Amino acid sequence: MKRFCLVCQNVDCKSRGSEELMKELQERVAAKGLEDVEVRSYMCFGACQEGPNMVVYPDKCWYAGVKKEDVDDVVAHLAGGPHVDRLDKIDPSLKELIYQLLDTGVF
Amino acid sequence: MEGILFPRGVAEGIEGLDAYRSRGGYDALGRLKELSPQDVIAKVEASGLRGRGGAGFPAGRKLALTLECPETPHYVVMNGGEDEPGSKKDRVLMENVPHLLLEGIILAAYAVRAEKAYLYINHGYEAATGAVETAMREAREAGYWGEDVAGSGFALELVTVAAPSNYVAGEDTAALEVIEGKDPLPRQKPPFPVTEGLFGKPSLVNNVETLANIAPIVARGPEWFRSFGTGDSPGTMIFSLGDEMERPGVYELPLGTPLRYLVEECGGGLKDGKRIKAILPGGPSSGFLLPDSLDLPLDHDSLREAGSSIGCGVVKLLTEDDSVVDEVARIADFFAAESCGQCPACRMETNMLAALIKKVQQGEGSDALTEQFGKVIAFNKGKGFCSLINMPGPPIESAVRLFPEEFRTAAAL
Repeated sequence: MKRFCLVCQNVDCKSRGSEELMKELQERVAAKGLEDVEVRSYMCFGACQEGPNMVVYPDKCWYAGVKKEDVDDVVAHLAGGPHVDRLDKIDPSLKELIYQLLDTGVF
Repeated sequence: MEGILFPRGVAEGIEGLDAYRSRGGYDALGRLKELSPQDVIAKVEASGLRGRGGAGFPAGRKLALTLECPETPHYVVMNGGEDEPGSKKDRVLMENVPHLLLEGIILAAYAVRAEKAYLYINHGYEAATGAVETAMREAREAGYWGEDVAGSGFALELVTVAAPSNYVAGEDTAALEVIEGKDPLPRQKPPFPVTEGLFGKPSLVNNVETLANIAPIVARGPEWFRSFGTGDSPGTMIFSLGDEMERPGVYELPLGTPLRYLVEECGGGLKDGKRIKAILPGGPSSGFLLPDSLDLPLDHDSLREAGSSIGCGVVKLLTEDDSVVDEVARIADFFAAESCGQCPACRMETNMLAALIKKVQQGEGSDALTEQFGKVIAFNKGKGFCSLINMPGPPIESAVRLFPEEFRTAAAL
């Protein structure tokens, strides 16, 4: 099944480096040959103060405050490795809101 | 019907200085020597006038709050940005009764001890700007403003400022930014303009229509003013009707007049005898009403109790042929486009709502998707500097509540 790595590209996340982060993830995912994973932009997850934010879907796994040095672990997770616990810090009620939106197909 | 702003309740061409004087115009300024600023404020407070820009804040209270601020100088700003889609009232007031408006501005400036008043006018309003500037010249020559206002010893300068025509430029603090030479971005509140407004000084920012009511209140008294309207919403209000009506235009009516009178007697009903499907009684940020609400009185409290709002009097009707979903999509797109982008939550909300309604339009909707509207709105409520973040909520949530079938049909198409 196709998996999405959705990287927020709203103003705050961008100002925290989400554009470079998305590019890096795209390159690394391609280099690793992860054909079932698509890294793409998302309009906003509403957690602007915690950015850059990214959500792996349909896994429903939300990473916040992702930095360049976290990319190795995130890519490892996308390749089937362990969940990166230290980046999982978003309030469950916001997660629920966003996951429901994603479930209804709002990409 | 007699009006407060227009003698017969409708605009009747440009009223020059002589015509305005012949109906008692500038009489209130002539009595300025006998009136203290507190006297002027007391009359406005007793009149119960509420702001006509949409929020309905008590106008006398705002005057008093500004006057009370010890810091000087004080300023007055007439907000004629008028960026609300469908609203024409401020333009019509500026074009047709500019002296009535000027007298109100001068009285308000006197009441708050302002040394300068800025007339902030939508830059697309060439005729209105011209009419106001002509009236300013005539009034200056007649001694109604300048070094010595009507022999009272009070000095006042008036100046016009062109307002950008994007939606947030009409927000009161965004207007202050523009006057200060900056981009039209709303400020975080508090502080409110009454304490920290233009150039950081106490400022009275009022909508055009609010200011236009001041001179009649001072000249003819609060009791006369209260002979129009209801106890909680005294006076009249100018309502704008759009091209879906037989007779589009602006109509001044006493507050509390049944919506049906505006729609049927003034507007002549929908064009081609079409039936009404839904009513947006207060512009795109008000909640939809059903046709069985036509007997509601047009006043702040009645519309609020009915789950909507009076806004600044833009009444829009949807016909039996119109799609509520399409109208909601237009509204959602409008707010997404007009969000200034300063506040993250507003960007997220307005874009998300527009994306959700697009899904419904494209036939990809579901009951689960429909439920998301309320959740996104609730999550972001009040999280912006200005009220734009709260604006898409009422029309979208009321549409979902009142027309669930239509959302299902659109979703199933």
